Amino acid sequence: MDNLKEDLKKQIIEQLNLEEVTPADIADDTLLFNDEGLGLDSIDALELIVLLEKYHGIQVTKPEEGKEAFKSINTMAEFIRNRKG
Amino acid sequence: MSFITAYCHLNQEYCAVNGGIISRRDKQAQDPWFKQIYKEQEFAYPKFHKMDTLAQAGFLGSELIKRAAPALLTDYNDDEVALIFANSASSADTDLRFIRSYEQNGSPSPSLFVYTLPNIVLGELAILNKWYGENMFAVLPKFVPDFFLNYTQILLSGGSKAALCGWLEILGDRIDAFLFLIEKEASHAMEFSRENLESLIATGPVTQ
Repeated sequence: MDNLKEDLKKQIIEQLNLEEVTPADIADDTLLFNDEGLGLDSIDALELIVLLEKYHGIQVTKPEEGKEAFKSINTMAEFIRNRKG
Repeated sequence: MSFITAYCHLNQEYCAVNGGIISRRDKQAQDPWFKQIYKEQEFAYPKFHKMDTLAQAGFLGSELIKRAAPALLTDYNDDEVALIFANSASSADTDLRFIRSYEQNGSPSPSLFVYTLPNIVLGELAILNKWYGENMFAVLPKFVPDFFLNYTQILLSGGSKAALCGWLEILGDRIDAFLFLIEKEASHAMEFSRENLESLIATGPVTQ
């Protein structure tokens, strides 16, 4: 099990108040902003930016970066690993 | 003439619909009070958990009124239901939470920031119910029956056929919410008058 991905799922649930969702409900490739996925909205995107800074010390400064990084848990984990080098 | 066809009281202790208590707060429960009602009434709207307490109060009150008066969802076009709300504390409860979010946690919370206006609750109700009629949220010193009477009469003389009205006062532990549905046409319903509105506010629920 990938600890970073599991941590991300827990952090997303907490940061975004997804009280009816459990980590098991989020597959690594679930589309976060798709209605058939997690159905997040634009305010949630801002919360994800706060989450990356709060838990991982990463600042997202370019909008294009977030658009790609926030597609799924897989892309978020990859983004974090690349930024931490 | 218009009529009060359903109403809902919500305070720190209980929630009542049409004068009958449907839920009492369990102070030993882990869940916050509004979440207790949400669970007990088996609502299913995950966005509830992201709302601030003002919007949650509006959601709970309006959902309970819809259950008590289902015609609200079936008898009107989407631009015929008006929303007329007021309180005295505006969005102060969430404003204070937002200040704390960046003073204590180091970063402002976007999801709190979007609720730092009182009329956001009206947007939540409009989106959920697809009500695209007139809406207004007034900040007043206290509950004033004449505000609701006069404003509702103006809207009902235009394109609105029903008005969901509410006094939504939330500040810290103080919860004082009273929502009521006004319809132009109804049978066996209470006349929408200052006396009846004052009476409903003053007497509260009648059954235990």
